[in-house]
Amino acid sequence: MSGRELGSAALVRLVAGREISARLRDKNFIVSSVVILVVLIGLLGFQVAVSSGGESTRIGVVGSSAGLERALEAQGDALDVDVSIVDLADEAAARTAVEADEVDGALLAGGAEPELLVRQSAGGSLSAVVQGAVGQLAVSEQLAEAGVPALEVPEVAVTALEPDADADGQRVVAAIIGVGILYGLLIMFGQFVAQGVVEEKASRVVELLLATMRPWHLLAGKILGLGLLGLAQIVLVAVVGVAGALTFDIVDVPGELIGTAVSVVAWFVLGYAFYAAVFAVAASLVSRQEDLGSVLTPTTLVLVAAFVVGLQAASDPTSALAVVTSYVPGLSPLVMPVRQAAGEVAAWEVALSVALMVVAIVAVVRLGGRIYAGALLRTSGKTKLREALAAERA
Amino acid sequence: MLEFDGLHKSFGDVRVLEGVGFTVAPGTMFGFCGANGAGKTTTMRIAMGLLRPDAGEVRWQGAPLDAAARTRIGYMPEERGLYPKMKVGEQVTYFARLHGMDAGAAAKASAEWVDRLGLGARRGDQVEKLSLGNQQRVQLAAALVSRPEVLILDEPFSGLDPVGVDSLAEALLEQVRTGVPVVFSSHQLDLVERLCDSVGILARGRMVASGTVPELKRREAGRLLRVVVPDAPAGWAAALPGVRVVSESAGDTLLDLTGGADDQAVLATAIRTGRVTRFAWQEPTLVELFREAVAAPEAQEVAA
Repeated sequence: MSGRELGSAALVRLVAGREISARLRDKNFIVSSVVILVVLIGLLGFQVAVSSGGESTRIGVVGSSAGLERALEAQGDALDVDVSIVDLADEAAARTAVEADEVDGALLAGGAEPELLVRQSAGGSLSAVVQGAVGQLAVSEQLAEAGVPALEVPEVAVTALEPDADADGQRVVAAIIGVGILYGLLIMFGQFVAQGVVEEKASRVVELLLATMRPWHLLAGKILGLGLLGLAQIVLVAVVGVAGALTFDIVDVPGELIGTAVSVVAWFVLGYAFYAAVFAVAASLVSRQEDLGSVLTPTTLVLVAAFVVGLQAASDPTSALAVVTSYVPGLSPLVMPVRQAAGEVAAWEVALSVALMVVAIVAVVRLGGRIYAGALLRTSGKTKLREALAAERA
Repeated sequence: MLEFDGLHKSFGDVRVLEGVGFTVAPGTMFGFCGANGAGKTTTMRIAMGLLRPDAGEVRWQGAPLDAAARTRIGYMPEERGLYPKMKVGEQVTYFARLHGMDAGAAAKASAEWVDRLGLGARRGDQVEKLSLGNQQRVQLAAALVSRPEVLILDEPFSGLDPVGVDSLAEALLEQVRTGVPVVFSSHQLDLVERLCDSVGILARGRMVASGTVPELKRREAGRLLRVVVPDAPAGWAAALPGVRVVSESAGDTLLDLTGGADDQAVLATAIRTGRVTRFAWQEPTLVELFREAVAAPEAQEVAA
């Protein structure tokens, strides 16, 4: 006895499950996922290197004193250089250490005339730190000898006129990276959906599938299955990116970074739903992978335009272009997150943008579903939109 | 009973089906013949819900076929279709599940059918790595795996070598023996004649003949008379009323007797020419029936 009839949910689940397991075994998918993660980790590493690299120096000291070390460290703090001090026994040891590159420079402080040994030349921060420390020490020593007590130097109070500028900048950078990843994943998963649709048409398996389900089951299962994978991927990227940024202390605004990551993930869901449906419908019009490029190009161009506008919005989030495009369905997923990150947007604006996007998704799925259903069984050449609409339910 | 009733279908101005109807009893095999473009695939696609008829319906056990009933039909489309990159076993399991089997039963049935069709060793291979003949077997496994109540197969024998034809025929006969009605289309009429309990011939969107093979033959029999008269002069039968000479070669004569032509008069004439070595009604082959049915522009409909 054969099985019972499956409900829509069960059919959609079966299709989605097949999509996921097929993709997880697809080398291209695995490789591209790994590449995205590697690039992200590389970016983080680069940030860490840029923000801390070259800002540290190791100074060997011969004939050190507590005062000298304190002075060196204080000077390092003032110049934003991470100073580490290595005690050395004598000049010979200092020469060896410098030649072996164990220290960037060695200060011979025992004699009357302090001397700095370096390999070739003293880098800017090294000589500045040493010069400043030695000079400061000498001044205070001479003052002490002259019977003048240690000076009370007044602390300068700092008042920032734009205390958030840096934080805003970081948020925008985070949003640009987020939108970049969003763009990449939308393109990638849109392509996956399109290739999957054409594969089913090209291999004619679609006729066998449609004997057991309605076209919308197939469309929904495919979009959902790949969408779950895409969501898993962008969440993974967001978690790794945010965790890395926090661990390496790259950002000063952890809370807002997380907020930006969450909004990027949320916009991925909306953007994916929209573009996956458009890509699937476009792909259903052709029967061979070779013809896919021609039908996908218009949609891909819209995505590219959205990305460019998103980047532009990052530099000027209040521009008319950024404001208008952040409401346009299809463009909004790549523009609104940037405006949100720049903090120039009210809650109702986001809500309106989301609402417009949802309306567009419903429209695309409705109309697209009809085209898809009409075009699926036309396996010869390229189907015209009008024919597909007319053929639906034929 | 599987009933195809009064199916009409047009694509734009092209009328593909104009009242196609036939019935297939449980446990019988129905051969569906017709020239290319006659409407066989359209008829089967309507049965599978892939196309909607303009009029008419397909019924199984008295009820119109719906999505629920179709999950109990095994279908093989004319254009074979499988996921090229999916493994054989998983693919068959997937189709079993789409027909409503649960995961465990589907996996079990899939393994069983893959083994039975001699693909056990290839279970873990991607379908695209198999030869065409083996892909065809996977296709058959996909159609049979859910233990369907009805089989509808569009050109199942095309592209198979003689061994493949035999093993597919055996698999189908086995289904028939368990009471499954089987409908298949084919251009290989000898095969149809050998396997099928009944036959339908489709031409220009209509069933021009349908019934059991003996029935059809009997209906056409009584028309063609073969007379061998070695000593007769050429044209010996030309003057007989109601008789048309189809072919004549050294006395071996094929005559077409219309209406009330008297076969005894033919015999009498033959005897007058000398020796008669053969005088018999010619039983038409299915190929001749097919040619007759398809060729006649105004072929009168012959109901079973």
